[in-house]
Amino acid sequence: MSENNKLARYAAIFEDIKAGEIMSSNVVEISADKKIAHAKELMKIKKISGMPVVDENKQLIGIISIEDIIHAFEFNKINDPIHRIMSTQVVTIHKDDSLADVVDKFENYKYGRFPVVDDDKRVCGIISKEDILHGILEKFNLIYIHDQKRTSTLNTEYSAITGEKLKIEEAEFHYQIDSSDIDAAGTGAAMLKQFLTGKSFHSDIVRRVGVATYEAETNVVIHSRGQGDIYFFQHEDRFIVRVVDNGIGIEDLDKAMKEGYSTAPDYIRERGFGAGMGIANMKRFADKLVIISEKKVGTQVEMIFYLPTQTWPLI
Amino acid sequence: MIKVRDIVALLEAEVLSGESKLDEEVKSVGASDMISDILALTQPGMMVLTGYTYPQVIRTALVTDLLGLIVVRGKNIAPETIAYARENDFLLLRTRSYLYSSCGKLYATGLRGSDVGK
Repeated sequence: MSENNKLARYAAIFEDIKAGEIMSSNVVEISADKKIAHAKELMKIKKISGMPVVDENKQLIGIISIEDIIHAFEFNKINDPIHRIMSTQVVTIHKDDSLADVVDKFENYKYGRFPVVDDDKRVCGIISKEDILHGILEKFNLIYIHDQKRTSTLNTEYSAITGEKLKIEEAEFHYQIDSSDIDAAGTGAAMLKQFLTGKSFHSDIVRRVGVATYEAETNVVIHSRGQGDIYFFQHEDRFIVRVVDNGIGIEDLDKAMKEGYSTAPDYIRERGFGAGMGIANMKRFADKLVIISEKKVGTQVEMIFYLPTQTWPLI
Repeated sequence: MIKVRDIVALLEAEVLSGESKLDEEVKSVGASDMISDILALTQPGMMVLTGYTYPQVIRTALVTDLLGLIVVRGKNIAPETIAYARENDFLLLRTRSYLYSSCGKLYATGLRGSDVGK
């Protein structure tokens, strides 16, 4: 299948994603009559490199970037109002634009992010390239990125699913997988389950975490030919489990996803493994699953389990 | 209600570990030698018939909250497997009955698999 055909196939899946669904809605905007110095301070505090500028009706009329501020410094205009130096040629995305429209904008204009507006030209969000990736991941529940350019997504400190920061030194649970011992496979998952049982979480979620982690861990032992780690994070309403290895990577994810398909050798099968259910089981038990794999670099499995929000007493 | 104790009697099984579970209710039964199947198909309160005896099977069972395992055909079980089960007070039975016959006997009592009557 050619690359273009593949793209067309995927484009159909994402057809109904709207810009409004993937944008970040906590956007920092500033009034055009404020001083440039004020914009500078805000950008410094918020650690952003540009901001939409709005008029008194909150309608978008421009954009101010770090370059504009440097320019203002050079010409000693730092106390001028923003509207004097802002760019008024703003390329916007409408909140009902399709994902394809959004991708086109990134292709055609070399900006890092675009403000998203509603029918009244009011800013309701902002979209960066990362937002697109996360939007797709949300939709797909699982994705395979097998591309040199994406090497940086492996072993990053950010969740591949939610984009939130995951510092491995802040993991509540860590287990180093011993890939040389097939009989020890699953020990990490069993320990993680014990760890969670001890914290009296609902037995259903603990069991789901246990099973899905078990499958991810045994995959590392059976297939990766590398070293691996299990990390567990608890964030307010969810558990995040990340299983990483530096092994050979997944050869063909479409096949690996198929129930019953396995590349496990006979001696592994004799031990009850290699049923070809590993990824299927992870998908079944995790609420969200993303697998990122690259040949000869490794594989990263990230799974999210949502904690039950409210339990009503049974009458 | 069928208790572990009833199954032990029916299959003339040895209780190798988990004596404290004899009065627990068995809710459903499954049979598999594949670890992934056990992981995918089990429900809490379920017992699984298997010919698989590596210590791994105990770990799998513990992860899935399986009620217990029944090793069929009187198979030899590695001492490590039994020791691991005892450490965790995990219910491990062994019967001389073959897999198919064991399934039949249990089915006849009214016990069903995880695919029936959810």
